[in-house]
Amino acid sequence: MTATAEPEVGRARHRKEDARLITGATRWTDNMQLTGMLHMALLRSPVAHARITSIDVTEAVKMPGVLMALTGQDVAAEQGSLPCVWPITEDMLAPPAPSLAVDRVNFAGEAVALVVARSAAEAHDALSAIDVDYEDLPVVLDMERAIEDGADLVHPDLGSNKSATWVFDSAEAGTGSDVDAAIADAEVLVERTFRQQRLIPAFMEPRSVVVDPSPDSVTMWSSTQVPHILRWMLSATLGIPEQRIRVIAPDVGGGFGGKLQVTPEEVLTMLVARRIGKPVKWTETRTESMLSGHHGRDQVQRLTIAARRDGTVTGLKVDLLADMGAYLRLIAPGVPILGAFVFNGIYKFPAYRFTCTNVFTDKTPTDAYRGAGRPEATFGIERMMDELAAELGVDPLDLRRRNWIRHEEFPFDTVTGLTYDSGDYEAATDRATELFGYDALRREQAERRANGDTVQLGIGISTYTEMCGWAPSRVLGALRYAAGGWETAAIRMLPTGKVELVTGTSPHGQGHETAWSQIVADRLGVPFEDVEVLHGDTRISHRGLDSYGSRSVAVGGVAVALAADKVLAKAHTVAAHLMEVGEDDVEFTAGTFSVRGTSTTMTLGDVVTAANAAHNLPDGMEPGLDADATFDPSSLSFPHGTHLCATEVDTQTGEVKIRSYVCVDDVGKVVNPVIVEGQVHGGLAQGIAQALYEEAVHDESGTLTTATFADYLLPSAVDLPHFTTDRTETPALTNPLGVKGVGEAGTIASTPAVVNAIVDAVRHMGVSDVQMPCTPMRVWKAIHHRGDGVPTTPGAGGGLGSVNVDDQAYPRGGAE
Amino acid sequence: MDFLRPDTLAEALALKAQRPDAVPIAGGTDVMVELNFDHRRPAALLDLTRIAELRSWDADGDNGDTVRIGACVPYTRIIEELGERLPGLAMASRTVGSPQIRNRGTVGGNLGAASPAGDTHPVLLAADATVEAASTRGTRLIPATDFYLGVKRNALEPDELITAVHVPATRAPQQFSKVGTRNAMVIAVCSFAVALHPAQNRVGAAVGSAAPTPRRASAAEEFLSAELTSTNQWESPKPLLDSVKRRFGDLVAEAASPIDDVRGSAAYRKHALSVLARRTLGWAWQDYSGKVA
Repeated sequence: MTATAEPEVGRARHRKEDARLITGATRWTDNMQLTGMLHMALLRSPVAHARITSIDVTEAVKMPGVLMALTGQDVAAEQGSLPCVWPITEDMLAPPAPSLAVDRVNFAGEAVALVVARSAAEAHDALSAIDVDYEDLPVVLDMERAIEDGADLVHPDLGSNKSATWVFDSAEAGTGSDVDAAIADAEVLVERTFRQQRLIPAFMEPRSVVVDPSPDSVTMWSSTQVPHILRWMLSATLGIPEQRIRVIAPDVGGGFGGKLQVTPEEVLTMLVARRIGKPVKWTETRTESMLSGHHGRDQVQRLTIAARRDGTVTGLKVDLLADMGAYLRLIAPGVPILGAFVFNGIYKFPAYRFTCTNVFTDKTPTDAYRGAGRPEATFGIERMMDELAAELGVDPLDLRRRNWIRHEEFPFDTVTGLTYDSGDYEAATDRATELFGYDALRREQAERRANGDTVQLGIGISTYTEMCGWAPSRVLGALRYAAGGWETAAIRMLPTGKVELVTGTSPHGQGHETAWSQIVADRLGVPFEDVEVLHGDTRISHRGLDSYGSRSVAVGGVAVALAADKVLAKAHTVAAHLMEVGEDDVEFTAGTFSVRGTSTTMTLGDVVTAANAAHNLPDGMEPGLDADATFDPSSLSFPHGTHLCATEVDTQTGEVKIRSYVCVDDVGKVVNPVIVEGQVHGGLAQGIAQALYEEAVHDESGTLTTATFADYLLPSAVDLPHFTTDRTETPALTNPLGVKGVGEAGTIASTPAVVNAIVDAVRHMGVSDVQMPCTPMRVWKAIHHRGDGVPTTPGAGGGLGSVNVDDQAYPRGGAE
Repeated sequence: MDFLRPDTLAEALALKAQRPDAVPIAGGTDVMVELNFDHRRPAALLDLTRIAELRSWDADGDNGDTVRIGACVPYTRIIEELGERLPGLAMASRTVGSPQIRNRGTVGGNLGAASPAGDTHPVLLAADATVEAASTRGTRLIPATDFYLGVKRNALEPDELITAVHVPATRAPQQFSKVGTRNAMVIAVCSFAVALHPAQNRVGAAVGSAAPTPRRASAAEEFLSAELTSTNQWESPKPLLDSVKRRFGDLVAEAASPIDDVRGSAAYRKHALSVLARRTLGWAWQDYSGKVA
């Protein structure tokens, strides 16, 4: 339906929210100043695994400005256990997860005591006056050792470090044949073990919480992605009636899954504000964020691919170990499981088995991070396709062509039981290879190899698909997830004809205010500027499931369109009534109702005014034109694309330079190309950074040694190449907008493209893998076959020395 | 914490004499990091930013062949104003941090911190720079070679301030190169500088981030200087033999005594230094050959 002369959907609108975000005119959580507000600071464990034998806060309480100091014992009866809503198996082991450690600490960074003071500085200063005695316990860090018999246990009460093992088998599910038979009969078999390093979400705005308790209800502002889930879980965890909790996510500066959480700090701020009867604020430092906010990825992937000599893949077996860290956070157990439905990628594999064991270690808990299970799986299969191509001696692009789902085969039932509704892998790949100059680069690569150039050229391919639009509630139910996957939108048609749109999504940088305004403007024919988007406050947006999993447009955006359609349907009836004609005689174009074949018209604004005045409505009709809609998708959506990366690898230093990067993505219909482009660029940056720079490193005692941005290497503009981006557009067939989602695609696709390119550059030197991040040293060691045992600890940047390394022989200091 | 804000150098020196525990601060790119992390709580900060004479540079010595750079001249100005006279120092300055840090950070601060990873140190060593230190007792010049005593330790007396660094403007090629784990905002895994001194028939070479202090690669300097002089190449340069470059690289690597740390292993650092040394020498020598011809 096109209601305006120039369709709003598809227009490259600049984002309406950016002026206030960029100029600092908005109020972030940490900007909140309430009368009488106090400040909380948390003391965190410096050790990874220990029994707390005593904590003494008496000196801290005497410090200037301090009102209260509490230990885990002081809140044990009240704090409950932090929620985990995704018990992936019936017998999943889940330890109690206190917000404030009571008698044991299980990771370095776990909160053990808190101070409330008049100022944040006084609260922080008082932490050093708290005296804690720890009795060290054996530290469990390595997943493979953690699951051996007789291993030291993170949680001895559970009797095992294995939380759960989850299996999908295509033969058992009836979606394919038996993978063991495929492996036994394989003409070619390739086995690899890849490591998905641990990453830190590194959102721009550190987390912050303000709680204002009143006797009747309590308001929490939090820098969260999930205000609705947070309200529900706070009620469940602390026993406060849900109707008395109001959660507000004001403008939030990024999340990447890192704020898809119910945090210890949110629970504790709530708890102390209620106890003390005054507003309390907690804001973290960057290092605190990196130590205690949840991490992402961290898997060991053992992969076996079976094929015939002609390149036809006959089976894929996936064995994963996934590091949960010390506790099970909100959706952590399900994160690696999401990969089960992505490992088959865009290919027609007849046999498939996926097994994942979730493992406890004495490290910061993991949970969702941009892509959540899908980047790991995409990396695994796209790396394996390159390895298989090398084994067979064929071009990796040709191998993919031989195995992928051809465009005429859609809809396609995959070996995991999902149905891909639409896609055109040929079109995206043809466009990408053309933009990339694939054949010319292959020729140059051959020349450089022949000449023995110091700098070798490599080409990396990633032809990915992923799953967006989380999620059909039935699918979530089948996966044992505790909640639904629908989304709500409500439209308020104001008497002046302006529009308030209430969304249950919770934007934290995505640009929903702009995109939703475009959808509404398009549907209703009202000016883009006349739409105000309201979100994030549970008393304004009372129903919603928030933003994560590339769900916002594919579920929430569709709900917006459906709500607009309801407004329009009612307006149509009212307009026909007022113009005294039958509904079939009325048509709607560009915001105006007209009677077919006459010059009689009525604008939507006139209809709104009349519906609000309610002087003359059809009998029994309720006044007003407001409407809401809740959309529960029938299916996930499946964006796809082809990413091509050319790297130049200096064989003498191991330095990797990305020479060109081309991606052609198909994210279905595009609401706003500028926003899509931004999502792709940001996603590429994060995915490339996993390949080249980022890694959370723990030393042998379990201390995070990369707890500053000098050590944990985020890429800057000078570290990233120019991105050549383009799109093909195959509309999703499972929702009325044809949208698929784009929030995670770039991150999911790019990592294997880069690593494939690096390996491709030096494969002739005997290299078949470089462990991420592919630092110059690791690449050099791989080339010179010094790789054994290298990559376990070093890797990240090193600089400020993070925590507790003042005495290291080598330097700290920001600007050397 | 006291915050001392002298308006003149004389005042600053007097304050430093009274308060030797005062930590000088100029751009703050190093000191503020330590304060923010609570790694250090000095009793006093001595703010040098109001002292105009520390923020200027001039060419002194015979024929203006030495540049005296005030301790508080930021990297950005070195890059923009001294790029031709002091190419090595400008190259190193370009690799410091980010534009914001280059706007604030100073060579004086780099020297004061004396981190083995400081970007400008190898250049100052290779170029025969001298550090000017002052106190109420007077002013003295410390050769860069004698300035770095240990990890984050330098040759200053407690009452002294760095007032300037004197760098010879040799009009001869200089090169600086470093390996980092990303392209900016990163501390070097290892770094290397080479400076040709044709007037003295000599080559300067120094390594950074590869020993407890930045240090000169003396054996490499002596080998190459002797090699070039004995073959009369200062007068009539010829393409350098691979064997000479290789030997030079090996000697540079031997000068280092790196450790394994989070940024790189000792073996990788040594290897990378030899590669940097060969490459930078190749560039510098090509440049020199072009100039003489």
